[in-house]
Amino acid sequence: MSAIDISDVTKRYGTETALDGLSLTVERGEIYGFLGPNGAGKSTTINLLLDFIRPTAGEVRVFDLDAQANALEIRQRTGILPEGVELYERLTGRQHVEFAIESKGADDDPDELIERVGLSPDAAAKKAGGYSKGMAQRLTFATALVGEPDLLILDEPSTGLDPNGARRMREIIREERDRGATVFFSSHVLGQVEAVCDRVGILRDGELIAEDTVEGLRDSMPDQTRLRVTLDRIPDDSDAALAAVEAIDGVSSVTPEGRTLVVACEDRAKTEVLHVVEEYGVTVEDFETDESSLEDLFVAYTAGADGGREVVR
Amino acid sequence: MSTIAVAKKDFRDAVRSRLLIGLTALFALFTVGGAALASWASELFSEGGGDSTVGLILALQTPAGFLVPVIALIVGYGAIAGERESGSLKFLLGLPHRRRDVVLGKVLGRTGVVAVSILIGFAVGLVGLVAFVGEVSPVDYLAFTLVTVGFGFVYVCLGVGISAMTRSTTKAAVGAIGLVVLFWFLWGTITQGLLYALEGEFLPETFPGWYLALNAIPPDAAYGSAIGAVLGESGFTTAGSLESQGLVESVPLVAEPWFGFVILAVWALLPLALGLWRFERADL
Repeated sequence: MSAIDISDVTKRYGTETALDGLSLTVERGEIYGFLGPNGAGKSTTINLLLDFIRPTAGEVRVFDLDAQANALEIRQRTGILPEGVELYERLTGRQHVEFAIESKGADDDPDELIERVGLSPDAAAKKAGGYSKGMAQRLTFATALVGEPDLLILDEPSTGLDPNGARRMREIIREERDRGATVFFSSHVLGQVEAVCDRVGILRDGELIAEDTVEGLRDSMPDQTRLRVTLDRIPDDSDAALAAVEAIDGVSSVTPEGRTLVVACEDRAKTEVLHVVEEYGVTVEDFETDESSLEDLFVAYTAGADGGREVVR
Repeated sequence: MSTIAVAKKDFRDAVRSRLLIGLTALFALFTVGGAALASWASELFSEGGGDSTVGLILALQTPAGFLVPVIALIVGYGAIAGERESGSLKFLLGLPHRRRDVVLGKVLGRTGVVAVSILIGFAVGLVGLVAFVGEVSPVDYLAFTLVTVGFGFVYVCLGVGISAMTRSTTKAAVGAIGLVVLFWFLWGTITQGLLYALEGEFLPETFPGWYLALNAIPPDAAYGSAIGAVLGESGFTTAGSLESQGLVESVPLVAEPWFGFVILAVWALLPLALGLWRFERADL
């Protein structure tokens, strides 16, 4: 049985279409990364899961329950980190956690949760009005963990976190998955998703344009590589050289790093790149190709191919 | 259960508001002023002793009649709209609470806040009354306090009800101010205008029943009626004071003092029902 089942959901605000026939399934026990640029419809999707908003058409089911009719039971079993967390200024951090525990009828120890997300006891005793973005994010994450939820819904969870905080969050996400929870998390920061997700869905303009494992997404674009070309020196007319390489069919981006050119391109363009570079009077000392990062995939999927790729499953 | 959890949290949060502390202090100042006025009035009207009922009216009802609606609306208008605007409503509704739990919890929590404000104001007023007037009937005083808390509850319902209908605190504030303008200024003017239109004069020999009924409908008039009912005094309502001057043939049901409780209940439930209805269907 799936944890989240969204079938053919459309959400319109007046004439604006936020989601257009979205279908998406998240299996129990997996970490699902929900990727897309800002404004793609990620938060709209999450708001539908929580019954914050209602679909114009289609069906949203969580734990095989109707998101609207069974909103209360769904939220009882779900931990939520909403986007752009806003806290109660005049309540302390600890009071927030206590309130979440009371609301869920759970028996967690608030101090344990606070420690788990890396918030200091001193900070937890202070009013949340003075919290930094990162502290607020940690605190809300602690409230999301209350009651060992079956499903964690995290909207842009790494916002405002320092690298340590982000790492801690990834660790907890994995621990929760290992405990048996399903994790659904949205992000436009790809490093986060790549490091932790079992599966990834990419959303653009309210439509799911790709959905697969990170490896699967890479395999689905086998021709996409990153080429690092090291030259003996920087060409005299470096701007023209860059422009010439960029103009080659199949090249999606060129970044100079000193004497090295980093070229994201399709496989077939590799030889052409080397030829063109050498036309500018320099010698290629070395070149290597790496597996494309999700970042490259993301750019290729969300910006590169206008007119729409098929959904990859 | 859920409603109570929301109410407790909301009370804790709202009771710490600086604005509320300021308004409560102002309220206390007014009740002391009222008590001083009461002592002056009792010297004027009676030789020695002092009239405990007149004292209560001047010391408690006058400031409460003005400041309780203001405090309750200020405490109430942002209850839902403010959280929608800031986004903290998503934290609250992300937890297993129904939307109606949130609205009712807010009403309870904020009524608690207004009640604290009233109790502080009245306690200070009581000290003033004892000091200036010398004697106060504890039963009357208690009845007065309870009815006033009920009056506060009605205005909290009005404020939270408006707040639940909109996602903008600005609109909610405009709505709250609109209510005050309607009840304090427009209602009386329109009733007077109708009287002139239908009777041809502002001071007819006897006032018609519909006029008395219309006058008794705003929550502020109903508060006066309800106090009249519990204190067994007729001077608290328009109808009562006109009747005592022989200007009324018969008092309609709506203008009877006990009916004030019915009117207050309607003013509490109506906005709440409308607010809930809108809020249940809204996209956050």
